[in-house]
Amino acid sequence: MFCDEVLEALEPIAAGDLMPDARTAAHLASCADCRAALDRAREIERMLQVRTAPAPPAQFTSRTLARIRRDRWRSDQVLDAGFNIAVASLVFAAIAGVWLVMNRSGIVTFSNDAVALIEMFIGTFVARVAPELPLYAAAMALLAATVGVWWWAERDVTNW
Amino acid sequence: MDAAHERALVERCRQDDEGAFQELVDGYKNQVFAMIARTVQDRSRVEDLAQDVFLRVHRGLPYFRGEARLSTWIFRIVANVCTQARTRRPAPISLDDERSAPITPSGADPQFADIELRDRLEKAIARLPDQQRLLIAAHYLQGVQYEDLADGLGLPLGTVKTHLYRAKRQLRRLLETELK
Repeated sequence: MFCDEVLEALEPIAAGDLMPDARTAAHLASCADCRAALDRAREIERMLQVRTAPAPPAQFTSRTLARIRRDRWRSDQVLDAGFNIAVASLVFAAIAGVWLVMNRSGIVTFSNDAVALIEMFIGTFVARVAPELPLYAAAMALLAATVGVWWWAERDVTNW
Repeated sequence: MDAAHERALVERCRQDDEGAFQELVDGYKNQVFAMIARTVQDRSRVEDLAQDVFLRVHRGLPYFRGEARLSTWIFRIVANVCTQARTRRPAPISLDDERSAPITPSGADPQFADIELRDRLEKAIARLPDQQRLLIAAHYLQGVQYEDLADGLGLPLGTVKTHLYRAKRQLRRLLETELK
């Protein structure tokens, strides 16, 4: 069964990591099968040493940096959106809290006057803005189109 | 790239120096690309996966403590990316793949025999388990020693050597079986 032991040691021997001891060397000298197997192991070692390494394409670095820039932009957008939502929630909670306090404390008259004041403001604003509504709608549509074009230009184009 | 240069480069990258990160990509792209190309069987994904590696490097740089070398850390990321890519493995390749042009070995011309052996070796490597294929791919890149593999994979040095010897033994057995 000594062949089995020698066959297990062939790869370290072929890699130069192990020197065969006297018993192994004597066996390799006398056993044609083990000697042939060692030759194959050395041939495989040689082929692996000279194996060609595939090279990246010429634009690899520029494409990689572009993808990283897009990734940073997206994560910045997520952070901005989260921050805006948090601020809006805080403002809404503050307004709701103030309103609740005013109602519970019985300052009804003050709150009714405040409501009337807001209604008058909204009415005056609508009366002034309504004739110019088409102009405002066109401006909003232009803004939306601009944002849409900018979003389309910045979208993920990795697979070009 | 020596250790001092690596540390300086990491520091510049942390300060958002895009030129420094470009230098990092240029310094490691050949090794990363070669390791992935030799490990992942779906060749159409190699560039995407190589970009994934650098994307993870970029995201992880603020948290990189410098306990291991930058090259070892990048190798660890390559190993993780290759492991996660294996869910889309293509069909296994036979050593007698009929899709490839038949090569008739000529005993009189050693070049043809060499080309055929190289072709059969590549097909045998494609049949190895993923980790063995990665070890073979990484170890035979210039400058990657057993210790670098052990650090990168978080394995003992003896285990790495055993895995490599086992992989090469499997290659020898595959080639011997097909030659019979």
